[in-house]
Amino acid sequence: MTAVTDHDHTDHKHHMSHDNPIDSTGSVDPPGAMDSAQDPSGSRGAVPAGTGVPAGGRRPHGAGGGADDADTAAGASGDTRGGTEAGTTAGTTAGETAVAKAEAMAAERHARVPEERRTGEPARVPEAGGQKERHGLGRAPEASGGEERHARVPEDRRNGEPARVRGAGGETERQARARETAGQDGRGARVPGAAGDQERPARGPEADAEKTWQAPARSAGAEAGRRPSARPEDAEAPGAGRDTDPDGESGEAWDDGLIARRVTESNAAALAAERAIALDTPARGPGGHAPAPLAYDGALRSRLDALRELVGLSRTRVDSRTLSEAGRVLDEAAARRKLSGRHTVVAIAGATGSGKSQLFNTLAGVAISETGVRRPTTAAPIACSWSDGAASLIDRLGIPGRLRRRPLHSAEADGHLRGLVLIDLPDHDSAAVEHREQVDRILKLVDAVIWVVDPEKYADAMLHERYLRPMAGHAEVMFVVLNQIDRLPGEAADQVLDDLRRLLDEDGVALGEYGEPGATVLALSALTGEGVGDLRDALGHFVAERGAAARRVGADVDAAAAQLRPVYSTGRPVGLSEEAREDFADRLADAVGATAAGEAAERAWLRNANRACGTPWLRLWRWYQKRGGSTTGRLQVRAAQPDEEATARQGVEQAVRKVADHASAGLPAPWALAVREAAVRGSQGLSEALDELAGRAGLPPGRPPRPGWWPVAVLVQASMTLLQVVGGLWLAGQIAGVMAPNLGVPVLLMICGIVGGPLVEWGCRMAARGPARRYGMDAERRLREAAASCGRARVLDPVAAELLRYREVREQYARVVRTGAGVG
Amino acid sequence: MVTLDVRPQLLETLSALRDRVAAARFPLPLAEAPRARANRDELLAQLDDYLLPRLREPDAPLLAVVGGSTGAGKSTLVNSLVGRRVSEAGVLRPTTRTPVLVCHPEDHHWFSDARVLPDLSRVWVPHQEGADDLLSSGEEQARALRIETADTVPRGLALLDAPDIDSLIADNRVLAAELLCAADVWVMVTTAARYADAVPWHLLRTAKEYDVTLVTVLDRVPHQVVSEVSRQYGALLTKAGLGDVPRFTVPELPESVWGAGLLPSTAVAALRTWLVHHAQDTGARRQVTARTAHGLLDSLKARTTELANAAAAQYAAALRLTSAVDGAYDGEHARVRSRLQSGAVLAGDALKRWRAFPLDCTAGELLDALVESLGALLLCSVMAADERVDDSWRRDPAAATPQLAGHGPSPESAEHRIGLAVRRWRRELEEYAEDEVRGLERSTAPDPEAVAALVATVLLGGRRARTAGEGLAQRIGAHGALRLRDRAGRLLTDHVDRVMHAERERRLAPLDALGVTAEPQVELIAALSVLQKER
Repeated sequence: MTAVTDHDHTDHKHHMSHDNPIDSTGSVDPPGAMDSAQDPSGSRGAVPAGTGVPAGGRRPHGAGGGADDADTAAGASGDTRGGTEAGTTAGTTAGETAVAKAEAMAAERHARVPEERRTGEPARVPEAGGQKERHGLGRAPEASGGEERHARVPEDRRNGEPARVRGAGGETERQARARETAGQDGRGARVPGAAGDQERPARGPEADAEKTWQAPARSAGAEAGRRPSARPEDAEAPGAGRDTDPDGESGEAWDDGLIARRVTESNAAALAAERAIALDTPARGPGGHAPAPLAYDGALRSRLDALRELVGLSRTRVDSRTLSEAGRVLDEAAARRKLSGRHTVVAIAGATGSGKSQLFNTLAGVAISETGVRRPTTAAPIACSWSDGAASLIDRLGIPGRLRRRPLHSAEADGHLRGLVLIDLPDHDSAAVEHREQVDRILKLVDAVIWVVDPEKYADAMLHERYLRPMAGHAEVMFVVLNQIDRLPGEAADQVLDDLRRLLDEDGVALGEYGEPGATVLALSALTGEGVGDLRDALGHFVAERGAAARRVGADVDAAAAQLRPVYSTGRPVGLSEEAREDFADRLADAVGATAAGEAAERAWLRNANRACGTPWLRLWRWYQKRGGSTTGRLQVRAAQPDEEATARQGVEQAVRKVADHASAGLPAPWALAVREAAVRGSQGLSEALDELAGRAGLPPGRPPRPGWWPVAVLVQASMTLLQVVGGLWLAGQIAGVMAPNLGVPVLLMICGIVGGPLVEWGCRMAARGPARRYGMDAERRLREAAASCGRARVLDPVAAELLRYREVREQYARVVRTGAGVG
Repeated sequence: MVTLDVRPQLLETLSALRDRVAAARFPLPLAEAPRARANRDELLAQLDDYLLPRLREPDAPLLAVVGGSTGAGKSTLVNSLVGRRVSEAGVLRPTTRTPVLVCHPEDHHWFSDARVLPDLSRVWVPHQEGADDLLSSGEEQARALRIETADTVPRGLALLDAPDIDSLIADNRVLAAELLCAADVWVMVTTAARYADAVPWHLLRTAKEYDVTLVTVLDRVPHQVVSEVSRQYGALLTKAGLGDVPRFTVPELPESVWGAGLLPSTAVAALRTWLVHHAQDTGARRQVTARTAHGLLDSLKARTTELANAAAAQYAAALRLTSAVDGAYDGEHARVRSRLQSGAVLAGDALKRWRAFPLDCTAGELLDALVESLGALLLCSVMAADERVDDSWRRDPAAATPQLAGHGPSPESAEHRIGLAVRRWRRELEEYAEDEVRGLERSTAPDPEAVAALVATVLLGGRRARTAGEGLAQRIGAHGALRLRDRAGRLLTDHVDRVMHAERERRLAPLDALGVTAEPQVELIAALSVLQKER
């Protein structure tokens, strides 16, 4: 079973490490020798499990780096080769012994091992041999370096452990024990945060210094330790890496042992380790090592959080159809984050016959995808992974196991494109509609896209209008490749390329020229290989950066934000202006009749004042008049009427409508609707409340206030009347002869009284104007204020709250939109 | 064998149908409207550019339109058929921006006038020997047709090099479709890389639907795979029911590489022979023209019906929108009436004024307040109705057109109009009151304004204004009061009705302006049935 994976050097390393126990106890010992050789360097660190384990736990990451170095640096040397072979044999033997399940396929794979090793291994072997198993061990769970290697580890481990248990009888207990401790330690090991890359190699040796038999134990421990930490999110990595699952899967999917297919088997197993690491990293905090698995940088993460918050806040206001795209982006971002960050999924898309499959094959170095003149050629997407651990990523794309392939290993390609997962898509423009559906689906999930166009079709409307224009924001994760330049004579290729650039520019796709971020445009011929190197280089850089997934998600967020723009922003100022509030209060006051009430109160007061200060004769005459026209008593009648619906309903309705209009002006439609609804909801019962309030607050309580001069005026008026009366009596007395005739004085008195009475009345009226006005204003103000406060509480406050909510959401939106963020 | 003979009646009915089609409009943005518009344009183009001219003059040269996707090598093909570079070919797409028509010099007159393709202005470039730069002389006119003459083209045949059918430039696409509509023979060019593309297949299916004379050319086939690709293509065609379509294969030759030159005549000999044969052999020619023409005539039934259906859908949608407006305004009108009945106008300011009326408030003030309150009631109803209309229109896709969205009457102007109306009512009411007062033989005539204010209060105050009725009767007598009240009441109803009606009309105006009526459907069907009888 182990052998299955053995084709890979990595595996060998792992095997060595894992199977060392077997080897050392059982037979071969090259690894063991190496270990001991290594010991001196690391012996200072030959720490008790407790301290050593952290190293073990940590190591995976660092060791990966070291291993990589080794890869590139170390040439194939004799001893390494020997080591490898030993490893392999160990692996195979272990596998054979171990595999109680011993499927037939295992055997088949064994058969293949050598050949594969030949192709891929030379470069790696050195490290496996020369660098000792610690690398292998360390790498096992590791997240960085050669993914195939550690990706396979779990499986190896899986295989190795049973082997150990079963095959190496006496060791079992020891291992078990060791595993236990290691497991505990491993758990603890995670805690001590980030260790520098440099430390790890140093620590590696110390780990190695431990007994060989401990190595597997430790890896198991590391694994075990990791699991708990991964547990919270374990649901996403269900049982991966556990012994049973992958076996089952591999059992059904990988029967035929084709080279190209073998890879995924271990991938499934590798999942656990990988995910554990992927999940671990964030937990470890920002101090994590540079080659961390897919973790969005702070800016992007905060944008995603903001988007999530935004969607949550908007749920009740914005219909779900509008939010669905944002929700999808969030889901995809979350799903992608859980998967390998060391891989970059790149889809090759293009029109039928533009040479997608040809390019795919050229990049892979093997004829994986069927090519041909029959159109459309490729009916289903095919995946090709340059390194292990991408199974979950490919699972996400819904590509079945039988369509997963491995590239032909070549040293150069491996170094360059490690971490690349290439997807060959069907065409998007053929008469077969289901192809287009597949393309549309997968394009949403991949990290980057290579658009393959050919000189004949590069200006197709469908390509530009359906795909490039809508995806213009994804320029940074876009390659546009002009294929088939071998069919173009001379400088025509350059012309076409320029024209293609022009079209892309018109589509709004930023071109990655002069160091600017943007789409990479290349011309090549998949047939002759011309220009493929450039693409390979570009892809290599691109994949090595490992930023594609985050950038893609960033672009997705941008697109979602742009799509949501009309829902959150209209570019107009919003808010309820002071004028609008005043206008609302005025309208309510009108509806209640505050002005009229004030005026009426003023006039009534003035009338009363006049009556009080008026000449008695006038009062008498008025009384007489009143008596005459007995039916003019309507004042009293009317006052007796109950005040039902004293408030003008239409006025209130209109006031609410106006204020809602004001408040919702400049708001995006859903929020404007919400504001309106808030206003209308608040206005229910407002009229009744105003009715009641008008009854209560109609007039100032108590008797109308009287100015201080009032009694004096009344007195003066009375004395004027008295003067008249006295003068009159005097005159009458003289006429009657009762009194001595003296016309002058009584006449003067009378004139005084007659002139003075109206004069006083007039003076009082003038003087009463001020107080009357004050009284009326007071009445009006009371009513107005009461109405306004009622309106504020019932309508303005809910509206303002709604506006506040909108403002909050818009801030959140601004946080999402923040440009330039999220690329890291 | 079907032949074409000119029948004036048929032409007449066709022209009538053509006018009906031209008159059909689909302004409401229903789901099927864009399609209907496109169908209409296409049908119109086919009638104008092909069917009518062809029926009028069956002897006009055959027009073979070479159409296909971008980069299919249409221009190269035309050049090769003609034997010299008449149409620009090149590597940059889209190549052909101005369509080129090539015919024999003696056939030139057929195409130089507006007989076919009357929409396109003609650019005639007389043939200059050895002038290679004539290609650049094609002016960049918006919609132009360049006419070339060449002796090598047989008489009775014209080749038209159309722009790409799926060009990035939308105008080009439209133009290409229009040109295809004018063709007697559709020459569909596709390539080894493209023969499974969706776009050309749509076109092929359309061609089949219209039963036009169709020729397909499989261009740019690398010679290593000629037989395989050709077989595949044949299989696809057969599957699509087009197995009997003449099929020509042109291999990819070095000469054909991106318009560097002309293909050797052998490469296109078969196609050329076919075209020449059908242009010059009377029988074949008749068959070609008759097939396309009859195919089109046959397709008219389905297509006209489709247009009629679309027109009916438009009308139905317009009715729906109208009824939404009607419903809203009717509801609000009823509400206004009931509010008037219940005396809702006499509230707020007006009520306060009325309470203070004779003592602390003048008749003028009371009247002002009442009129204002009435105006507010009307405005409120109109705006509520507008809101309801907006609401129901928002849910109707047919109302999503800008003409309807920005509904003309702004609230301010509604306020203004209603203000005018209620003030006019007040003036007339005062006149009535004056009439009534003048008719009184009392020595102390009551103040007409007070009478007017009382009448208004009686009318607008409902139960609440009972005392106003008493006051009125006191002033001008019971009979006078009754009479005045009736007259003024009728006046009020008139004005209210008029205001609501005017606002509703105003709201409907943009919809009416779109002119969606039931007629197009009826007329289309009528014209079609006349045509069917005529055939």
